[in-house]
Parts: sequence; structure tokens; C-alpha cells
Amino acid sequence: MNRPESNHPLVGELQASAITFQSASMGAGVWKRFRRHPGAIFGFIVIFILAVLTLLAPLSPYDPEASNLPERNNAPSLSHPMGTDALGRDLFTRVLFGGRISLTVGALVVVISLLIGVPIGALAGYYGGVLDGILMRFTDSFLSLPSFLVLILLSAILREVDAPLFERNNVLTISMVIGVFGWTTFARLVRATFLTLRETDFVSASRALGGSDLRIIASHILPNAIGPIIVEATLEFGYAIIEESGLSFLGFGIQPPTPSWGNLLSNAQEHFTKYPWLAIFPGLMIFLSIISINYIGDGLRDAFDPYKVLEKVGEV
Amino acid sequence: MYRLKLTSLFFIIIFVVTSLLGCQQNAPANSAQNGITIVIPEDPPSFNPIIADTGYDALVMELVMLGLSDVDPEGKVFPELAAELPTIENGDVVMDEDAGTMTVTWKMREDVQWADGTPVTADDVIFTYESIINPETGGWIPGIDYIDSVEKVDDHSFTISYNSIYPGYLTQFGGEQVVIWPAHYCDASQGFASWECARKPLSNGPFVLAEWVNGDHMTFVKNEKYFEQGKPGIDTVTIRIIPDQSVRKTMLINGDADLDMWTNEQMVSDLQGEANVSVDPSPTNRWVMRIFFNLAAKGTTDPVATPHPILSDLRVRQAIRAAIDVDTISKEFFLGYAKPAWTEFFRPPYVCDIPRPVFDLAAASALLDEAGWKDTDGDGVRECRGCKTAEEGYVMEMEFITYAEYGEPLELTQQYIAELLGKIGIKLNLTVVEGSVLWAASTDGGIEQSGNFDMDIWDDGYAGVDPTDYLWSYYSTDAAVPDAGYNYSRWSNEQFDTLLGGVYTLDEEQRKKDFCEMASILDAELPELLLFTASNADAHTVRLENVQSSTNDLVTWNAANWVLK
Amino acid sequence: MLQTVGLLALLSVLLFALVNLAPGGPLAGQGQSRHIDPDKAELLKRQFGLDKPLPTQYLVWLVGNDWMQVDKDGDGTLDSYGTRHGILRGDFGFSFRTRQPVLTEIGQRLPNTIYLMTITMGVAVLIALPIGIISAIRQYSTFDITVTTFSFAGQAIPEFWLGLILILIFYAWLKNPFTGEPLLPPGGMTSTNSVGFDLGDRILHLILPVTTGALGWVAWYSRFLRSSMLEVIHQDYIRTARAKGLSNIKVMYKHALRNALIPLVTLLALDLPYIFGGAIFVEILFSWPGMGRLYYQAALDRDYPILLAVLIIGAGFIILSNLLADIVYAYLDPRIRFE
Repeated sequence: MNRPESNHPLVGELQASAITFQSASMGAGVWKRFRRHPGAIFGFIVIFILAVLTLLAPLSPYDPEASNLPERNNAPSLSHPMGTDALGRDLFTRVLFGGRISLTVGALVVVISLLIGVPIGALAGYYGGVLDGILMRFTDSFLSLPSFLVLILLSAILREVDAPLFERNNVLTISMVIGVFGWTTFARLVRATFLTLRETDFVSASRALGGSDLRIIASHILPNAIGPIIVEATLEFGYAIIEESGLSFLGFGIQPPTPSWGNLLSNAQEHFTKYPWLAIFPGLMIFLSIISINYIGDGLRDAFDPYKVLEKVGEV
Repeated sequence: MYRLKLTSLFFIIIFVVTSLLGCQQNAPANSAQNGITIVIPEDPPSFNPIIADTGYDALVMELVMLGLSDVDPEGKVFPELAAELPTIENGDVVMDEDAGTMTVTWKMREDVQWADGTPVTADDVIFTYESIINPETGGWIPGIDYIDSVEKVDDHSFTISYNSIYPGYLTQFGGEQVVIWPAHYCDASQGFASWECARKPLSNGPFVLAEWVNGDHMTFVKNEKYFEQGKPGIDTVTIRIIPDQSVRKTMLINGDADLDMWTNEQMVSDLQGEANVSVDPSPTNRWVMRIFFNLAAKGTTDPVATPHPILSDLRVRQAIRAAIDVDTISKEFFLGYAKPAWTEFFRPPYVCDIPRPVFDLAAASALLDEAGWKDTDGDGVRECRGCKTAEEGYVMEMEFITYAEYGEPLELTQQYIAELLGKIGIKLNLTVVEGSVLWAASTDGGIEQSGNFDMDIWDDGYAGVDPTDYLWSYYSTDAAVPDAGYNYSRWSNEQFDTLLGGVYTLDEEQRKKDFCEMASILDAELPELLLFTASNADAHTVRLENVQSSTNDLVTWNAANWVLK
Repeated sequence: MLQTVGLLALLSVLLFALVNLAPGGPLAGQGQSRHIDPDKAELLKRQFGLDKPLPTQYLVWLVGNDWMQVDKDGDGTLDSYGTRHGILRGDFGFSFRTRQPVLTEIGQRLPNTIYLMTITMGVAVLIALPIGIISAIRQYSTFDITVTTFSFAGQAIPEFWLGLILILIFYAWLKNPFTGEPLLPPGGMTSTNSVGFDLGDRILHLILPVTTGALGWVAWYSRFLRSSMLEVIHQDYIRTARAKGLSNIKVMYKHALRNALIPLVTLLALDLPYIFGGAIFVEILFSWPGMGRLYYQAALDRDYPILLAVLIIGAGFIILSNLLADIVYAYLDPRIRFE
């Protein structure tokens, strides 16, 4: 669970240098290139199927909460494709409901990171100067925290906090906690794009034409950063799921009885030798979704980066 | 495919290296010598349980140090450093009924030595007492405020003067928490709470600490100067710190560990059928799983001013009692180890004859109907229709809390109880919190102390042999004030309080009678609903004999008697 | 530098408030019994200095209390000077759990973590180097695709899950055919009965934790090296070199690799703080007595002197390693000069 963070200006610079040639080739070509990446297509299909299945979870004939004591800890069978858990509940149904939670955590973390990171990066990059200095110092202060340790501490504390909307490590709490450390990458990416583009002709032109700052930021510069943002967001989505499962293992994740892939897996770990299916299926779900997300991220990166593709088709 | 080759090459190298090393590798400590390995999940903070009280400190303390007395699994007190137990009969306890005071004279064994050869004397006891009461660097033990003074009589006897009648005197300087510390070895200037000798103890017990690698392992060897002849029966005890439960379990099955402390039901279940592992629960268990009813409205602590809209009606509490199927819970979630318990007085020396409640969903429903709770809108949840305690139409929905540390069986129990009560039309919303938050002071946001709950389920019960202080803190009117005690139900009963005032005596017959009268009151009024005692077990390999789990002490309480088959 | 100090100061206030305002309070971690007797709680609060208002507590924690009178015995009068020096003078206080100085506690664990993490990351880099280079040079070859798959899989397996499976396979199921003993030990740094320094024993105990810990790093470093190699390959000077007819291999190793290694070395410097923080899952599963476990236990026990010390020292490490990374980068990259 080493979260590879671009926690240094240098890495930001590398990304920025990439952006300059990426921004030129946006648009329809992206999807075309994405389609040529077999792994990305595989990942996309898997994630799509998982998402649809979890959405359809309520159609399951089994109740995810109600116990069925005669059927406790049954091995997978035709009627229970993933077996049953310690209360005799259908594990497949539980895994689907858990998937809703885990995928929601992933999505929420991305949204939260974007909501914090994009405005900060945009403001810093567009206005520069003192504002840039302050905002980047703020970002630095987040980057100099040992983030996973703080994450553990925060979730350990918030597990006991029962505030409106944030009831004891519910989905929103966990997403906030993970998201609070996820936004810095976005801030750096966006800032780098803005630094590069704010002096270009088309920005100067729209400024001369009397375009408001907000309009220039939102509709002229920001779209150029979308490529790398999407790539990063995809990866962030994956980290969030795996970090929630790590927190669950420590006891600080989404709290049972609400199922998440993370807590289904870590609760079942104790029973691994006796009831392996309890651990195998949630683990498999995490594995499948993360590997798919990584492939999608890889595919997107290639899609947004014409050089790699050009090389592949032999034009370089 | 290169990577695959690399991986397989890596494992081939591992394999070869291991096989080669296997020859010169030391054979496991267990088989070569007469030694055993105990696995626990975290380091003991020290050898002094009074400081941090994690249980692991008491575990290692019992290996190396002795108190004046200790309690066996049946709840019987036996002497350790004491030559005999002081009682009224043998004249060592003298009471002044008028003043309400007493003096206790202890006679100590004369054949006990510290591991350096110095005899254990009354000076060590006085030194220990004075170190504990030091307000700056000391500690706290139950009943310490009742003591006026500890006076030396001679090298091996001393007298404790109490300023009141204190029924718990027998285990005050013993039991699972308190031991006598060596006056000539411990540095008093460092203070009881943080002195060095709590980490490098001088033994007078069966074993001597030989090595402590923080976070990894501790090694103990036989104390050659131990006073019981021919004991201990084992030469070395190694304690390994293994945080993950699955790993502890696997080591036990593989025979690399001989004893797992506080084995939970989950693990007991997984160990069933393992031929070389045995799990014997303690004969009795003080921990009674129980439901606390908040008689005051959620968030308040005064049941008279703000009665609970649902639970303040006795019939509702009785209905809940009738709706809980303890036998199924025991069988399904506690492997049958849980024994039904429905009164505080279920184990020696105080056993009261209270009829066992009957599981009867129909009767439960009838009680709720009678109390004026009916499901008129057909959603499966009752509403107040003529009930006495809530407004018309109030929905019968409550929060039901438990604590996380106990683990899966309790969480399953919580879910199952919610389901059972759902069947009689009571809707419970489940919450799991950390125990410390459940039990913290109200100033620290403790859920129970601030009355911020409807119902919760957790386990407690009095330690040792004297329930008086326990009864006071859980059921007396005085203890219903937030942070004064633990009367979380905020229950108040004059008759009970009077009886409680009377049991601070050493007259056993009177105490037995009064306790059973209290038991009847509690059964009728139902401030808490007692359900069952869970298993209290420590799994061990079958080659390690004489292990006896105890609810009154850590499993190492009789480590001197352990032998290897 | 000033900015760094300010940052740490701000951070310490935040962390201090956070830990102290947690529901249950700092005493919540004390003891396995259901309740702390009010008398005992009062004594503990006094001994821990928790009876003072939060700002005072923070001040004492920061600059100590040996310059002011304190009430040590709880009788309501000030009796003598305190004994704390404060973290500014290197006194991080004592652990609530063990009553030992925090630095002693950290000192007992830090060498073990450094030992494990240095080897883990060393092994990871040694494996990642060839993988990254080859997959960059032969981009989209079968090798590249296989390695990519493996490295994505490596990142997709939760560490705690992988660790447990490895223990089950190599400790519970596989036996050494010569001795009948389990193939590998389930955890710990050494056998508990090993005498002196036994290299073989130590290696045996390292195999599983290092494998578990290194997997994610291998994936991360090899992907990073691959992409920085690719970037260098696309630079004009490499194309020029190729165009001049230099052999491909020579260009790759002499020019491309050297330049691609610069960001990797920088990244390594940036990852140094992990050597301090340890790998919490590996330490828990393999019973490794390191910093991660110390921190986790402290989080469970609300042992906030330890928590704060680890976080602040950790933050210091990160700031230092960033500085180091700047220096390394400047040193290695001829295009950058210190102004």
C-alpha cells in the first residue's frame, strides 16, 4: 500500500513538461487511441460490469442484513455463488452491496480531491505571485505530513465522532479523510498547466477581448489540463479503494455492519483457513477493480500522450 | 516471461538456502529444552499492572512476582506470600463495630526469597504501600483510601489499620493486579509509576526475566530460589509478540506456540478439530453480557424529569427480555460456550435462586400490546397507541450500541438481537463504537456517562469475591449521577440502597441473605438485562499440562504448576 | 528554512488539538477494565499533566515546565518546579502506556524499521532497475506487457492480504523436505533462541516481509523508470545520437539510462521517510518490532506523546528528504545550477 505520491516539485515539473505537448492533441483522437489499448478496454469492461452489478444489487433475492442461521458459513453453491457468511447471509449479495460502498468511496474521494485541488491549482497558476506562494506553501505543508500515519490517526479519531453527516466513519467521513490527502497532486498538475498557458497568445487574446478571469480559467485554460487530471483521477479512485481496505484491516475503515469490500475482506481474514471463500471473493473484487483501474489509467495516459502512440504505430 | 523466470529463480534460491540452513538452524526452543512459548498480540507495558492495566502486564507479572494472596478459578482466595489468610476466626481480623473500623494482621511465609537471595519481609510490604500512596509518583488500587496505616510487627508480620469495614481486604495486596515490590532493589526516588524495576523486575515468583527484546520477545528462565519445592516444572518460558491473530493461530497449530492468551470465540471455532490444541474455558466467568436500558430519555440523565419514551415502561423491558433467545445466541455465535446468566449472583460464593426468564415471542408481543404499543400503519414497527410513556404515534425505534473490541461474536449477537426485536415490532439501529468511548467520563464525551444512548450491550461483572463496590457503582442511587459511578440506567430504588448499606460487613450469612434480596429487586425492576457469560479461555497445546484458565486472574496464575508431557 | 520551522509549529498545534479533542479523551486508552475509578483518573491526569487547560498543556509540551511551579501531589498548592523540558529542548515526554521516555521507545524500534526498510527498498530497486530499463527499451514487447500486468497486479493486492497468504504457504503448508520444519518462519526478526548474530537465521526471517513489502515498490519504481526512460528516449539529443549512427545499445545505456536515472535517484531520496515510518501492515503481519507497530499501538491506546513525536519527527524527515532530493537533483543534472 505504498501510495506513490508525486510529493515533490520535481515530479510536478516532469508532469508539466509532459503537458505542453499533450495539450495540443485533445479531442476525438483520445477515444480512438484509448480503444487501441487492450488492457484499458478490458479494465473498462470489468469496471462497467462491476458498477452495473452493484447498482442491481437490490434485485438479489437475498436480504443483505437478515440472518439465516441454519445456513451459516456455507461453501459456494448454485443458490449462493459465493457462499454464505457467519450469519448465513448470501455473500454475493453482501459483496455487491459492499461494492456500492467501496466504489462510492472511490468516487467521492476523487470528487473531494478535485474540489479542493483544482481551484487551488488554478488560482495559484493563473494569478501567480504572492497568492501562488501562499497556496503552494499550503500544499507543501500537506505534502510534508507523513500522510498514511495521519490518515490512520484521523480515521481512528473520527471513528468515535458522531457528528451530523459524519457518523462514525461512514462513507462520507472515510472519503473526506482519504480525499484530504489526495488533492495535492491535482493542485500541482493544474497549476503547472496554468503556468504554461497563461502567457500564451490565445489567453492574452481572450483577456484583451475582455473575457473575465473566471471565464478564461474555466473555459480556456482548464480544459487543457483535463487529460492528466483524468489519468490522475483514475489512479486516485483505485488508491481510495485500497486505502479503505487497509484502514479496515487496522479497524479504522468503514464500520460494520455496513459492508465494504475492505471490511468484508479484513473480517474474513481470520477465518481464512476454515472458510476461505469469505475472504477470497471480497479480495478478488478489490484485486479486479484495482487492476482494471490501473489499466484504464494506463490506457488514458497513452491516449492523452500522442508520442507513445506514434511510436507504437512506427512513426517515430 | 522473464519476470516469471526471475521469480521462480528467486524461490529456488530461497528453497536451497533454507534447506542448507535447516541443518545448522537451531531447533525450536520448545522441543530441545523443557520450554514453552506463549503468544500475545502486544508488548506488556511493564511488569506493574497498576500502571497501564493491559492484561499483558499482569500476565508477565504472574510469572515473576507474588502478592500476599491470589484468587483461584473457583473464586477461592489462597495465600501466596502470606503464611495463612487473616480471618475473624483465627483472630487476625479485629473489628471495632462501634467505630466502624478494623485491623488486619498478616503473617508472611518466612521461606520466600528474592532472586538475589534477600528474604521477602514485611518491610517490602510497607515499602510497596508507601510507594503506592505517594500522591506525586504513586498509583491507585481499590480500597486504598480505607487504609489508615500499615505497621510492621516483626520481619514477617504486619498490621493494616482500616478506617472502615472493608470486605475486600483479603485480595487488596494480591489478586491479578497487586504484588509486593523489593524495597532494597526498587529505586523509590523514581516513583512507583515509573520505576526501572517494573521493567527489570527482581523475582520472587517461579520465573526470572532473562531477556526482553522490545516488541519481539521476552525470555524467562526457572527461578532456582523459588520457594515451592520442585517447581516450576518448566525451564524456560518465551513470550513472543505476534500482533496478527491468524498468525498466532497458525503458530499454535504448528506447535511453535504453546499458549494463546485470551483466545476469542472466533479463534476457538477455527481451532476445533485440531488434535494438538486444547481449549478449556474457565469454570466460571465473571463477564456477563448484558443490555443496559437507559431509563432517561436519550441525551439526558434524569429519569424523573425526562423519562425515556420507550424504555421507562417496565413492561417494555420485560418484553425485550422475553424476546431474546439466549440459547440460540450461545449455540450459534459462542460455540455453546456461553452460559445463560440472568442475575449478578450466579457464581460462588454468592448464588441466588432466581427463575430463568423464558424466551417467548408471543408473550413479548402481548406485553407490548398491553403497554400500549401497536403497529397500526402496518410497517412492522409499533407506534405509541395509548402508551403511558410517550406521545401518541411515537415510533418504537431506538439506537442499539455495542463495542468493537470484543469482535465478531458480539457484533453478530447485536445484529441477531436487533432482528429478534424487529419481529416484535421494535426497530433497532445498530452502532458499533470503541469501548473507551462508550465508557469514558462524560467530560470526555463518554456515551454512557452522558446518557447518550437508548440500549447498549457489553460485558461486565465483579472481579474476585466481593461484589459490594460493584453493586454500589452500577445500581446505587448515588452512582446515577454522571461520572460518580456507572449506574447508566439511572435506576434508583430506596430498598436496594438500604440493603446495599448493610452489606459492608464481614457477617457472611447476613451478606448472602441481603445479596439475594437485592437479586430479586433487580430481577423485578430490570435496570439491566443480563444474558449470558461468554467463554473465557486460553488455547494451549495438549503437551502443556495443568493450564487452567481463570476468570479471576490471568492464565499464568498457576504457571509454577505447568508441566510438559 | 524559516518556512519549514513555521510549518512544523503550525502542524504541531493542529496535531496536538486533534489528538486531545478526540472523544474519550487521552485517558480512554488506559486499561482493559471497563472503567477507570474517578480517583485513579484524577491521579493519572495529574501525572500526565492533563489537568491543565489545553493551551497550558501545549506550552508544557513545547517548552517544558521546569521554569514554573507545579502542583505535583494534587493538594492544590504549587510545590516545586516541573521536570519537563519540552520538545524544543529535545524532551518528547514519556509514553502514557509504558511511562518510558518517548525517545527511548522510538529508539528501541527505529533500528529495526531502518533495517527492514533499507533492505526492502534496496531489493526493490535492484529488481526494478532491469525491469524498468528493458520494458522501456522494448516498449510494447511481450516482456513489457507481462511486466506491466505483473506490476499492476502487485499494486492491486492489499499488502496485508498478500502477507497472510505468504505466511500460510511458506509457514503453514510448505515444509522443508530435509528437516520437516516449516519452510520459513512466520515472523519476528530472529529466532527467539538464536545466540549472537546468525546471518542465516536473519535472512530466513527477512524473506517474507521483504517480499511482501517490496512488491509495491518494485511496481512503482519500475513503472517510474520505464516512463522516465521513454521520455529521455524521445528527447532530441538521443535522436541525434541515433541519427549519427551510434549503436542502439550504446545510446541507450550511455545517454538514455544515465539521464533516466536522475529522476529515479531523486525519487529514492524523496521516499527516504518511509524508512523512518516503516510499513505498518508488514510489521503487524510479520511481527516485526518496528515504528509502524509502535505508532499503531499508540493510536489504539491514545498514547499521544508517542503519536505526536512520530508525526513530527516524520514530518521533519520528509522536509529533510525534500531538501536532499533538491541537492541530489542539482548535483546529477548538469542543466541545473544553484543560484
